[in-house]
Amino acid sequence: MIKQGPRDLVEQVQEAGLCIGCGSCVELCPYFRSHNGKTVVLHDCDLEQGRCHAWCPKAELDLEELSQALWGKPYRFTGVGPHLALTAAKAGPALGEGAFQSGGTVSALLAAALDQGMIQGAVLTGREGLEPLPTLARSLDEIKACAGSKFTAAPTLAAFNRAQAQGAEGLAVVATPCQGAALAQRRLDKVNPDAPTGPAELVVGLFCNWGLDPQGLMRFLGQKVNPETIKAMDIPPPPAGVLTVETTEGTLEIPLDEIRGFIPPACAICPDMTSEWADVSVGMLEGRPGWNTLVVRSEKGRALAEAAADKGWLVLEEMPADMREHLAGAAEAKRARALGAAQEQGLLGGPDEPGPKALRVGPEFWAELSQGKGE
Amino acid sequence: MANSEQANQRLTLMGNQAISRGALEAGMRVAAGYPGTPSSEIIENLAKSADEHGLYVEWSINEKVSLEVAAAASLAGLRSLCAMKQNGVNVASDFLLHLAGSGIRAGMVLVHCDDPGALSSVNEGESRHFARMIELPQLEPGDFQEAKDMTKWAFELSEELGQVVMLRSVTRLSHASGGVVPGPLPEVSGQARFEHNGSLLDPQRGPVTAGPVSVNHPRMQEKLARAVELFEESPFNTYSGPEEPELLVITCSICSLYVKEALVMLGAADRVGVLKLGTTWPLPPKLVQRNLERCERIMVVEEVIPFLEENLKIMAAELAGQIGPKQFMAKREGYLPSTGELNPDLVAAALARALDIEYQERPAGYAAKVASAAQATDTPRELAFCPGCPHRASYWSLKSALALDGRDGFICGDIGCYALGARPSNYGILKTLHAMGSGAGLATGFGQLGRFGMDQPVMAVSGDSTFYHAVIPALINAVHQKSPMSLVIMDNSGTAMTGFQPHPGTQTDAMGHPVPPVDLEGICRALGAEVTVCDPFDLETTRQAAMDMLADQSTAKVLILRQLCALSPERKGKKLYDVQVDPDKCLGGQCGCNRLCTRVFGCPGLAWERETGRAYIDEVICAGCGVCASVCPAGAIIKTERA
Ligand SMILES: Cc1cc2nc3c(=O)[nH]c(=O)nc-3n(C[C@H](O)[C@H](O)[C@H](O)COP(=O)(O)OP(=O)(O)OC[C@H]3O[C@@H](n4cnc5c(N)ncnc54)[C@H](O)[C@@H]3O)c2cc1C
Ligand code: SF4
Ligand code: SF4
Repeated sequence: MIKQGPRDLVEQVQEAGLCIGCGSCVELCPYFRSHNGKTVVLHDCDLEQGRCHAWCPKAELDLEELSQALWGKPYRFTGVGPHLALTAAKAGPALGEGAFQSGGTVSALLAAALDQGMIQGAVLTGREGLEPLPTLARSLDEIKACAGSKFTAAPTLAAFNRAQAQGAEGLAVVATPCQGAALAQRRLDKVNPDAPTGPAELVVGLFCNWGLDPQGLMRFLGQKVNPETIKAMDIPPPPAGVLTVETTEGTLEIPLDEIRGFIPPACAICPDMTSEWADVSVGMLEGRPGWNTLVVRSEKGRALAEAAADKGWLVLEEMPADMREHLAGAAEAKRARALGAAQEQGLLGGPDEPGPKALRVGPEFWAELSQGKGE
Repeated sequence: MANSEQANQRLTLMGNQAISRGALEAGMRVAAGYPGTPSSEIIENLAKSADEHGLYVEWSINEKVSLEVAAAASLAGLRSLCAMKQNGVNVASDFLLHLAGSGIRAGMVLVHCDDPGALSSVNEGESRHFARMIELPQLEPGDFQEAKDMTKWAFELSEELGQVVMLRSVTRLSHASGGVVPGPLPEVSGQARFEHNGSLLDPQRGPVTAGPVSVNHPRMQEKLARAVELFEESPFNTYSGPEEPELLVITCSICSLYVKEALVMLGAADRVGVLKLGTTWPLPPKLVQRNLERCERIMVVEEVIPFLEENLKIMAAELAGQIGPKQFMAKREGYLPSTGELNPDLVAAALARALDIEYQERPAGYAAKVASAAQATDTPRELAFCPGCPHRASYWSLKSALALDGRDGFICGDIGCYALGARPSNYGILKTLHAMGSGAGLATGFGQLGRFGMDQPVMAVSGDSTFYHAVIPALINAVHQKSPMSLVIMDNSGTAMTGFQPHPGTQTDAMGHPVPPVDLEGICRALGAEVTVCDPFDLETTRQAAMDMLADQSTAKVLILRQLCALSPERKGKKLYDVQVDPDKCLGGQCGCNRLCTRVFGCPGLAWERETGRAYIDEVICAGCGVCASVCPAGAIIKTERA
């Protein structure tokens, strides 16, 4: 793992326009703060190595090293990546009512984990108006209060760091793929062994094709609706091509083309659609509203999913083959697109390429990719 | 004190004390000024003995008003003095120009103190040019005794001419000390009365107006012509040296002492003649001619811009038919620099070159060597704010607010201690720095540029004294022109930079008498600005207030950050808190802190212990403000309130 310091982070990520605002570097120290969804550098820090750079998902993310460490195999993923099970899922009767995004699978898994004593709390992303507001949830009600997707990048990991600094242990994090990558790197190296910060007890990953820049979206939507009245947002599967905003006054449909400009450049080099480093990953189930896709990846994830189904928190169902295929295709397409874009921008390398690089892959994969480009 | 000392005992006086003593010996009754290094001690000194000598002394709101206050006394028949630093004359110059037109009555002296080398300024402006530009007589004392004697004479001269007399000092005269034999203090009496019922053309009894120009301008020039006659005979212009020297040095001010010393260093006193001029504008032609005739080669020694040099060259050209061509060796010929201070070494090097004497000039790296030798025994320190200074706390919060705001906003700086915010050791937070009030003025202008696509928010800072001096018009402008300027007034309740002189917001005047303070927030509110008041020691609240101000860029806003200066008489030596670092909690250089308090926050009260890798409080230096306790990310800095 290439660990560098905050000045490198600022140069390679913030100033390069690659910061997604995940909050991984925030609340570790007094130097980085999150404000209005943006990560801000308050003062200059001259350390040569820090947690900020080591864990940032956009600076020196070594996919090969992560894959070997987490899944014991090379980073040559196909489809949804390493998994033990791939099923359709939705919340069971035990969870009760809630403003869930699709099937409520995420909330159900958290509720089950809390109920099982597997975790003490979960770091989730609620919102205030249009501003994503990460918080620590310790009860079913608090979990439900955070239900629903906020389609902007969010500093969720800042809240995780804060909770750890305040002594909280046994925490789950619901993470987008970039946040998941940041969390996975904590399993490779704690950097400062005396600090309370480290990996999460459980990572529930979300599917994600892209997020939106929160300040851009707030400015844009702020002109169209009163943010206070927003109840939910959704991006229904293609070919809809819209972002729907459900408010107390009615539902607004915004063509995706109008908001594409708010997709941060960092998303274009993100090869992960299905949260490949999480214990379990959850997305929509295309064509079946009210249901989710559930990818079980780790043993811990399998134990949780089974227990949740047992206790009525979760309902599982076979996922039809055509849906699996379609999903695998989408995941592969994103992976290929992102690696290609990163390579084109000089942001991708093998283990020995001179840095800085945003992403690194193993030597063979790199040789193949370079050849493909005729290099 | 020097002010009440009896005559004829030799005293050691600071140049500024000598000037105030001269004013007392002249029977001066009213003095006014605005604080500014190196001039401030003149008014301070007079203020101290105001009651004893029956004077009225004030620190005015700005230099222009101080000149007006002094002029009123002169017009009512009382001798008066006005004192300011070099750039203060710029502020006063509009009135000065018009006052020169009308003339004055009782003797009135404008003492202006220049700062060659900008030891305490952000300019090394040359205020003698005002004398030429406005057509006023200029005097320049060359030592401490002359500082007193010429001041006294300046009042007589002024009265005889019916014109303001300018008397220039420089930092090295104002702030150094030397021997002065005081003269007697007169019994002063006489009532103030302004005669205004006579004819417009009667300078003693009529109305006093700058015009009619067709009458007054010729009259001004007649006064100058009379001054020249008096200067021809003035004992303050002296010649020393051989009757027919190889080289004539013409000099003035404190430079005359440098010349003396340089000649001794070179052993060349018998080869060089020295004409020391005390009356430098207008030049007395007969005296100049007599001396130029002594030899072919002329060196002019003065600081900064070649004022005397150019005037002498014009005169030499005019006299060329009678005295023949002269070879000048001065600034324009590259013998002496026209920026920075002079010193005996620079003068000796110039003389040695002119006289072809071997002289080992101080090598270029010498100053740096001396500095590093001095530092070897000294803790290296950046030019930082004092421990416990409210400005550090204010800037800490403003810096964070601007960073969080994220639109690359910036702060226009102004003149006062807080100007140190332009330096890297104080976060380099000020991005413009010019004259008194100019930060607010610039911010008003920047605030209008949104229509041209500028999306950076702009702030201005001002001290309390500066606010009254020159910021009010800029704020009015901002409100009226709808400029979304954010003005932060860093109110430390006194004119801290120059030594706590009172200003309109304080409760005592220069003489120590109670006066009604003028309400800072009241003024801002009345002007139509939204006002918030915060304690800058409360970092969180201050940062939030600054962010709110930046977020809403619809109108002009004022944030008053009020906290006493750490060196103010009320605060000095009194700690609010006992402050300590808990070494077990301190993260030191670890990831998570990396010495935020000592490396970034930078209060000199905090020190770094290399051996343990922990911060500690230097009890002697710590002022006990407790602000660092809110800076520390680990809660390692513990403050306990003092009983
Ligand atoms: C930015 C974004 C893009 C997505 N893109 C896709 C996609 O392309 N395809 C797809 O199938 N699914 C996508 N999803 C996932 C999908 O919207 C649902 O979150 C998922 O199906 C889980 O539904 P649920 O009913 O189980 O969620 P719920 O039970 O309602 O729980 C939702 C959870 O998501 C968390 N959350 C909400 N917003 C954020 C955020 N911005 N960052 C981190 N955590 C957040 C909350 O903490 C909450 O716990 C995306 C989600 C996000 C946040
Ligand atoms: S860790 Fe996250 S918030 Fe910090 S620089 Fe990296 S992408 Fe940005
Ligand atoms: S800020 Fe706090 S933790 Fe950091 S060095 Fe100073 S005292 Fe120690």
